[in-house]
Amino acid sequence: MRKERIVSWIITIVLLALAILWIYPYIWLIISSFKPAEDIYTTFIPKRLTLEHYKFIFLMANKFQRPFVRAFLNSLFITSTVTFSVLVTSAIIGYVVSKIEFKIGKYVFNFLIYQMLFPGFMFMIPMFILIRNLGWLNTYQALIVPSLTSSWGVFMFAQSFKTIPKDYIDAAKIDGANNFWIVFRIMLPLAKSTASIVGMFTFIGTWDNFLWPLMVMKDYNRMPLSVLLASFNHEYASYVGPVLAGAVIQTIPMVLIFLVLREYFLQGISMSLR
Amino acid sequence: MSNCSKLGKKERAFGYSVIFPYLAYTAVFWGYPFIWMVVLAFTKWNYFSKPQFVLLSNFLRIFTDSLVIRIALNTLNFLAYLIPMVLFASLFFAMALTKVKFGKTFIMLSFLVANVSSGVAYSLLFSNLFSINGPINRLMDSLFGFTIPWFSNPQLAVFSICLIITWKFIGYYGLIIYAGLLSIPQSIYEAAELDGADKKTIFWKITLPLLNPSLITVTVLAITLTFGIFTEPYMITGGGPMQRTTTFLIYMYDTAFKRIDPSYATTVAIVTALVSYALVMLIRKFFEKEVVFV
Repeated sequence: MRKERIVSWIITIVLLALAILWIYPYIWLIISSFKPAEDIYTTFIPKRLTLEHYKFIFLMANKFQRPFVRAFLNSLFITSTVTFSVLVTSAIIGYVVSKIEFKIGKYVFNFLIYQMLFPGFMFMIPMFILIRNLGWLNTYQALIVPSLTSSWGVFMFAQSFKTIPKDYIDAAKIDGANNFWIVFRIMLPLAKSTASIVGMFTFIGTWDNFLWPLMVMKDYNRMPLSVLLASFNHEYASYVGPVLAGAVIQTIPMVLIFLVLREYFLQGISMSLR
Repeated sequence: MSNCSKLGKKERAFGYSVIFPYLAYTAVFWGYPFIWMVVLAFTKWNYFSKPQFVLLSNFLRIFTDSLVIRIALNTLNFLAYLIPMVLFASLFFAMALTKVKFGKTFIMLSFLVANVSSGVAYSLLFSNLFSINGPINRLMDSLFGFTIPWFSNPQLAVFSICLIITWKFIGYYGLIIYAGLLSIPQSIYEAAELDGADKKTIFWKITLPLLNPSLITVTVLAITLTFGIFTEPYMITGGGPMQRTTTFLIYMYDTAFKRIDPSYATTVAIVTALVSYALVMLIRKFFEKEVVFV
């Protein structure tokens, strides 16, 4: 028994050390973005801290045709629009296919599962052709409209609405509630964790999306941050400081939303196992 | 009763009013690309002229394309590192997590926060951290007197990319296995101990077989991930050195936009999806075991 206790103490210490090793790249990234350029590769603990890289990104990068602030706002706009829309459409469609008894609903539900079998990259070039035919290349629509709804989101909401008894809906109907009221005021609050999971994964996925915006967006003024940062690095890789500061800015929203909704992240993992 | 059916009717009307716009949207943003996907696979096209029907020649070209063979080998190379690394590391992480005395939340969070890193940002971070005169190599140089060409040696570049993907995904995969470990009833272990089974036997005969569903899940996720690698090599190595980190998606992107050949690019994407699907099916068939707790 004593031996076992010592072993679990050793494991605790090893894991704590590994946990620190795991966030070390982040720590290095953050500290480096505040170091003078010549110290980035050489010293871990800087002699002095500087804001020059952030200043460069916010003030100077426009001259390099890389409007970082705008790109950040673009990303924010695109990501929040997509996330909001996915939540609303998934909740409504999820409600219809799980709670309304009609044949077409069942067909749609099966079709959603079928859709999820196809990996996204299969559709990328055909989707590019669609966007091109619509005349939407280099527009915000190209980044938003194809992701307005998500089969996975609908599926998640449908699964969680299935567990809510129909009595709730009938009671609300007798009181004269309309269908939207039922979805948003009764069903959605009861499926809060599903909503958080769908919202968080959609936000992270859209913010982090790279290949698709790389294909359809060549206009620096409408680029999301991920693509702008990549193109800045492509041409000015020697500006290590600003590149790292850009990486910090690109990472912050994702980490923030993760830290706020971390409980649901864990639930999402165990849910995806079922 | 009549009241009820009236409600049902109204309900269905609402259902149709949601389903029809949804179907219209799906027809445009799923159906139309789907049709184009099929058309592209059997035609030759350069975005401007009229698509020319070429039967199966796009598919036949794949088997004679030396670059596709190179990429297939690269993908095997990635799988050969990534699958064992991910399985061992996440299994170790999950088992260690069950023994941890304190700080569990901190440990889980710091592993998971790696998982929510942005593809572009973490590629930039690691390409600088591991660059030839970067901090890791400086440390190596001062401690051992040599440096490691992490991303410029062909074989090491593949390994390094697998390393950073492992960094990113261990928290996520480890927790999947952790959830699997927690679902094994304690009584099974107690019974085994009563029968005098030692630690090793318990691990090999009980823990590992009962973890099969989680281990398969992680393997399948990692395979799917490998076939979809794009951002890391695109950002860090550009597909090199010697095209050893060129992946199917990089090839698809280059073929469609640099070589202006969207039909062949789509064919490559279709075949890639089929191969990854087939590999997943094979793994499932040969390694998946039904686990029932009685």
